[in-house]
Amino acid sequence: MMTRPALLAWAAAAIVALAYPFVVDPYWLTVGILALFYALVTASWTLLVGYAGQFSFGHMGFVALGAYASALLARYASLPIPLAALAAIALCLVVGAAIGGICLRMRGPYLAIFTLAFAEVLRIVITTENEVTGGSGGFQAATLFHGRSDIPYYMVALGLLAFTLAALGWMIVSRWGLFFRAIRENERAAAASGVRVVRFRVLAFAISSGFAGLAGAFYAHYIGMLTPDIGSVDQMGLVVAMAVIGGSESLTAAVLGALAVEALVEALRAYGQWRLVLFGALLLLTMRFARNGLLALAWEQVRRLPGLRRPRGTAEPAR
Amino acid sequence: MSGYLLAQALNGLVIGVIYALIAAGLTVIFSILKIVNFAHGEIYMMGGYFGYFVITLLGIPPLPAVLVAMLLAFALSVALERALLSPLYSPATERKGDYGILVTFGISILLRNLAIIAFGPFPLRPPSFWPGALIAGDLVLSWDRVFAAGVGIAILVGLLLFLARSAWGQALNAVSQSRESAAIVGINDRLAYTLAFAVGGALAGGAGALVGPIYALSPSMGLVPDTQAFAIVVLGGMGSVGGSIIAALLLGVSENLFVALFPDPTRGLSYAQAFSLVVLMAVLLIRPTGLFGREHVAME
Repeated sequence: MMTRPALLAWAAAAIVALAYPFVVDPYWLTVGILALFYALVTASWTLLVGYAGQFSFGHMGFVALGAYASALLARYASLPIPLAALAAIALCLVVGAAIGGICLRMRGPYLAIFTLAFAEVLRIVITTENEVTGGSGGFQAATLFHGRSDIPYYMVALGLLAFTLAALGWMIVSRWGLFFRAIRENERAAAASGVRVVRFRVLAFAISSGFAGLAGAFYAHYIGMLTPDIGSVDQMGLVVAMAVIGGSESLTAAVLGALAVEALVEALRAYGQWRLVLFGALLLLTMRFARNGLLALAWEQVRRLPGLRRPRGTAEPAR
Repeated sequence: MSGYLLAQALNGLVIGVIYALIAAGLTVIFSILKIVNFAHGEIYMMGGYFGYFVITLLGIPPLPAVLVAMLLAFALSVALERALLSPLYSPATERKGDYGILVTFGISILLRNLAIIAFGPFPLRPPSFWPGALIAGDLVLSWDRVFAAGVGIAILVGLLLFLARSAWGQALNAVSQSRESAAIVGINDRLAYTLAFAVGGALAGGAGALVGPIYALSPSMGLVPDTQAFAIVVLGGMGSVGGSIIAALLLGVSENLFVALFPDPTRGLSYAQAFSLVVLMAVLLIRPTGLFGREHVAME
C-alpha cells in the first residue's frame, strides 16, 4: 500500500529516532523528549481538526487536564504512576466525549470559541485553587524514573508516539477515517449516505482528547514540575503553528512539523521572543501560500526526483 | 454595603462601554466578512500602545490621542486585511471558515509576541487623562473612567450613525446581506471588506487607548477582553451591533457584581476572568442565537 519512497522514509526515520539518544548530549536529549511530547499533542490535534474538521482551541486544556489529573492522583490517591496515567486518560476520554456531545450543534468558529473558553476556565481554576494544585507556583509531580539518564524517558516517549501514530494511522485508513472526512466535508451529505454523524463527531473528540491526556500524563511525570501555563493560549498557538507549518491534513506531516518546530525553538534560543514571532509569521505564510503545509510541499518535490518516481499508471496513494 | 454595590455596578457600566466598543468592532467584522476575528484582542492591545506612545512621545492631549490611536489601528487593520484575508473572497479557497480562524489566530500570536519585543513584557501606564475622581457621598468614580465612558459612548453613537446614515454604512449593510446583489448595484465589495475589518479594528484600538490609564497596558492584555468580546457578541446575537452593545453593558455590570458578591474576595477577583467565559459557554449551549439573534451565516 505504501509507495517505495514512503517505506524508505519510514525506515530511515525509525533508525534515526532510535539512534538519536545515544549520539546527543543530555541537553538535546531533553529537547528530543519535549519534541516527541509536542509531536504526540500535534498528532492528536490533527486527527480532530485536519481529519474530522472540528476546530478545537482547547486541546492544550486536555493536555493540562491529563497532566494535573495524573499528578494529583499519584500524589493524593497514592496510585502507581501508570495507573494514575490510565485514570487521567479515561477522564480525558469522558470529558472529551462530553464536550464533543454538548457541542454537536456547534461548528467552525463557535466550536473554536467554546473550546478556547473551556481551556481558559480550566487554566483559571487550576491557578486559583492553589491549595490543591499549587497554583501558578507549580505542582511537584512524581517522576517516572529515578536514574541519572533521561534515555528511558526518551524511549517511553518514542514508544508512545509510535503507538499513537499506529493507532491514529490505522483509524484514518479504516472506515472510521472515511466517516470523519465525510463529516468534515459535508455533514448533511454524510448523514444522507448513512454515516452516524453524532456518534462519529463525539468519537473523534473523545479519542483526540484521550491522546491529549496521554501526552499530558507523560509530560507531568517527566517534567516533574507542572504549571498552569501548559494549558495556556500561547502553548495552543505553538501546537497550531506546528500542525499548520507541517501540514494539518496529514498525520505524518503534522508530526514532522512538530519535531522541526521544537528543534528550531531550541536552536534559536538566543533569539528569545523573536522565535514566536517567526513561528507566527511562518504560520501565516503557510496558510496564505501553501495551505497543505511546508513539509507536504517539500514531499511533493522529493517525489518528483528521478529514481523515486512512481511507476506509470499507479494510483495516487490515499493519505 | 449597598453603596459599595452601587459603585461596583457603576464601574461595571463604565467597563461595559469599553466592552461594547470591542464587541461592536468584532460584530462589524463578523457581519461583513463572516469570520470571527481571533486577533481582535491584539488590535485592542495595539490601540492601547498607540495611545500611550502618541501621548508620551508626541505630547498630544488625551482626546485627539484616542482618535490618532483609532486611526493607527485602522491603518494596521487595512494592512493585515489586504495582506492576509483576500483568500476569503476567492472561490478557489476551500473551507474558508477554517482559513479565517487559523489566519486570525496566527495574527494574534504574531502581534502579541511582537508587542513583547517592541514594548517589553512589563506593564506600562499612560498618564491620566483627567486626574482626580468624582465623589458623591460614598460613591467614588475616577474621572478617567468617566472620560472613558463618555468618549466610548460618543464613538458608539458615531458608529451607529455611520452604519445607518452614511452611504458607506449602507453599502456595508448591503454586502452583509448579499455580496452578489451588492456587487450588481455597483458596490465595490472588496473595498467593503477592507472597510469593515478596518472599522472593527479602529473600534478595538479606541477601546485600548481609553483603557490605558485605567488598567495598565501589557502585551497579553488582549487575551481576556477577546474572550469577553466573544461572549458579548454571542449573547447579543452574532451580527447585531445594537444587541452587542446591550449585551456588553449587561456583562460589564453582572461581572462587577459577581466580584462584589463572591464570598472569598481574592478568589472572586481570580474567577472574574472566568465569569464571562462561563456565560459564553452557557449561551452557546442554551441559546446560541443570543438575546436578539440572527441565524449563523457563512461566507459563500
